[in-house]
Amino acid sequence: MSVIQVKDLKKSFQSVEIIKGINFTLQEGRCIALLGPNGAGKTTTLRMLSGLMKPSSGSVNFSGLEKETDIRQFIGYLPQHPIFYEWMTGREFLEYVGKLAGMSKADVKKRTDELLELVGIADAKNRRIGKYSGGMKQRLGIAQAIIHRPKLVMLDEPVSALDPIGRREVLELLEKLKEETTVLFSTHILNDAEEVCDDILFLHKGKLVESGTMEELREKYQQAKIDLVFRDDMEGILKSFSEKGLLQSYLIEGGKASVMVENIEEARRAIVEEVMKENLPLVKFEINRTSLEDVFMKVVQS
Amino acid sequence: MRQWFILFNKEMLEMARNFKWVWVPIAFILIGVMDPITTYYMPQILDSVGGLPEGTVIEMPTPPAPDILMMSIGQYNMFGVLIIVLITMGLIAGERKSGVAGIILVKPVSFSSYITAKWAGGLLLVWVSYFVGLLASWYYVGILFKWIPFGDFIQAFFTYGIWLSFVLTVTIFFNAFFRSPGVVGFASIATVIVLSLVSGSLSHLLEWSPAQIAGYTGEFLSTHSFPEAMLPTTLLAVGGIVFLLIGAILVFRKKELAA
Repeated sequence: MSVIQVKDLKKSFQSVEIIKGINFTLQEGRCIALLGPNGAGKTTTLRMLSGLMKPSSGSVNFSGLEKETDIRQFIGYLPQHPIFYEWMTGREFLEYVGKLAGMSKADVKKRTDELLELVGIADAKNRRIGKYSGGMKQRLGIAQAIIHRPKLVMLDEPVSALDPIGRREVLELLEKLKEETTVLFSTHILNDAEEVCDDILFLHKGKLVESGTMEELREKYQQAKIDLVFRDDMEGILKSFSEKGLLQSYLIEGGKASVMVENIEEARRAIVEEVMKENLPLVKFEINRTSLEDVFMKVVQS
Repeated sequence: MRQWFILFNKEMLEMARNFKWVWVPIAFILIGVMDPITTYYMPQILDSVGGLPEGTVIEMPTPPAPDILMMSIGQYNMFGVLIIVLITMGLIAGERKSGVAGIILVKPVSFSSYITAKWAGGLLLVWVSYFVGLLASWYYVGILFKWIPFGDFIQAFFTYGIWLSFVLTVTIFFNAFFRSPGVVGFASIATVIVLSLVSGSLSHLLEWSPAQIAGYTGEFLSTHSFPEAMLPTTLLAVGGIVFLLIGAILVFRKKELAA
């Protein structure tokens, strides 16, 4: 079932078109990554979905809701650089936001304790937010986005500002969130998207250049690529491979040769045979799965 | 309504945590007692500052008590207005500029509650501060000069309070317009100054202008009766407050909350 449908969404600032008409539908219970280089329009898109910005044209529709319904109770949103009331404590802020979202007093209390535990800032709950570190603020930001159990949680670059440990923890948190609700998050870090997401939306220069499930994209952009490492004389060996027509092209980079071939299966047999026959000092042989980064580069460059 | 009280309580808590509940009343008290005290001690002050030739006899007529209370109101017309604009100019603009409004207003918060709760919070702080300030002034006028009937004081207090409320509402109105507290402050001060100057110089044409309220309060204190224009002026000021508040809500609704 779909949660939200976006139709021909456009946004201009002072006659410069930032978002040039994008269409997509988000399915319930999925984790969707909104990917794109800096300046692609990720933040603008999320702001329009959350209602913080009004689209120049196009529409955002929540499934099963009348057009006039206040969608804000069904969404949770974490801005890229979340700012809180510095004079409140973490617990006060969560309770305040929860009450504003219309939760009952008892429910807010229970949910606040639960979330403080979940995001890992329970120790600091009675400290002023002004004294929180960047990572703690990010966690508090995630907690406030989900406190009212929204149908769709939107997170704008939730991990970009964190150190590796914080990043890991927030990604694990996203995994947990996925079980409860639909998650849409923007990032330019491909590994993060690859790790936790089911679906990908690729945004580039205000256009949706690619979208689909992780598997679909991998398949579509799958390249016949093999990584080879020889103990010595890589250059010479690869040259001879090339002359014998075993491969199309190769690139030696960082002590590793990336080899493009026409057909993975044939090439594997031919290369292994050649290695056995000539007794070549092969150290590593790897058939490469296309990473999201390859897809990213391809999509952005095309 | 429950949401309105949540927002209002947050304003109260914030004003307590950042000590507005302490310094604003103190500032109003200081401004209020300044004139009664300096007026009373003026001969001694002149004497001790010196610079006057030997044997100079300083003779000053003691001003009537209502005039001194009116001097305090005159100070509020300048410093009080300034303080009100200063404490109000960031109420909404500051939250939008910092980005915290982006977190609060993606929750299902009604825009009219958001604005009126802030307005009411500011109003309460201003009225309480202004009350203790003017009360202090009235008390010092009483012990140093002559007691003004408490009923007169209360009437003057409420009358002039309308103008201060008007100033606060103007500032809230500009808060909905501009994102920068500095710009809000400037626009509010400029509006108040222009309104006062124009009403002052064209007083026969603009006798219903809210900026006349200070003058009418003074007239009441010395003559015990309000001029005829007082009633329409009050109605116009209250109408203006309602109009500005509704305007602020309508403008705010149309604004984009994120930059």
